[in-house]
Amino acid sequence: MRAIKNILSQLHTFVLWLLASAIFWGWIFTFVTDTSVEKKITVYCEVPQMEDRLLAAALEEDMPEGLRMIKVHPFSYVMFDMESIGKGDIFIVPAADREELAEYLAPGEGEKIYDTASGEGAAKTYIQYGNEDYYLYLGSGSVHIEDGKAQAVAQRLLAMP
Amino acid sequence: MNSRITELYSDADMAGLAGRIRRCKVFCWALALAALAACITMIMLTNTANAPRMEGATVAVSTVAGWVVLYVFLFMQTPARRELAHARMLRQEERERVEGAVAVKEERFTIRKSVAVRRVEVTVGDETQRLLVCDSRSKDLVSARPAVLYVCHGYVAAYEVTA
Repeated sequence: MRAIKNILSQLHTFVLWLLASAIFWGWIFTFVTDTSVEKKITVYCEVPQMEDRLLAAALEEDMPEGLRMIKVHPFSYVMFDMESIGKGDIFIVPAADREELAEYLAPGEGEKIYDTASGEGAAKTYIQYGNEDYYLYLGSGSVHIEDGKAQAVAQRLLAMP
Repeated sequence: MNSRITELYSDADMAGLAGRIRRCKVFCWALALAALAACITMIMLTNTANAPRMEGATVAVSTVAGWVVLYVFLFMQTPARRELAHARMLRQEERERVEGAVAVKEERFTIRKSVAVRRVEVTVGDETQRLLVCDSRSKDLVSARPAVLYVCHGYVAAYEVTA
């Protein structure tokens, strides 16, 4: 009883510590879980549902040398930060959205990653596709096209069950 | 008649308070360092798949450990430190002798940034002198029923019991 009374008398201190702890470790984890564009491959997926962390972890199992991590994000992740999408390395987009997102996609036809007619597609363990064809593109602003790392990760993604 | 002066804080009491402060300090440092080590270990074990879980666990460990350290510091170490400073003041500074009918009041209150105290009233004839006694020592004063008090800056420092 006395302990509870003591805690209530200093409740603001205990709440403040909780907030400070969450903010501090959150800040530390941004460094642990992210790195510069030169050391990571970023994949953006315009799909209804996906296991982004599990897909990233699976892709990291066989990363090209020199990379530290692979980040996978749904498109909603960049709703308020369109600048970062310009540096994306790989894009998985529905056929209908290709024109709208053309400025972010490297020129070319792209690689068909999901065929809605047959239901065949890559990385279906992690990605739930919608009722249309999906294409994989390299990013127009990717810094990993020249060194071939974006292509290597894209090939691995296309080969995933 | 024999009379005996009893200090409210004996040497053993002072040593007890100093020991409690030392134990609290050691406990707080040990827990804080253990929690920090656990957090650093969890960061080292973080990967893409488990990052949110590890972040949650790190925040939980540091928060709970911090709460325990705060509790020990605020409600165990700090009161003991204040009481020790109070006891040193009572034993070192000059005292005055007060004689009369002693009554220790029930009401307990805390002096800001100091110790918890209770009011003591010493009545001589029509005059009543109002003093304070440290709450943790007030029981001794009640049970001893002294007629003479030794007072330092308005606080009871010792009492005299006549056998």
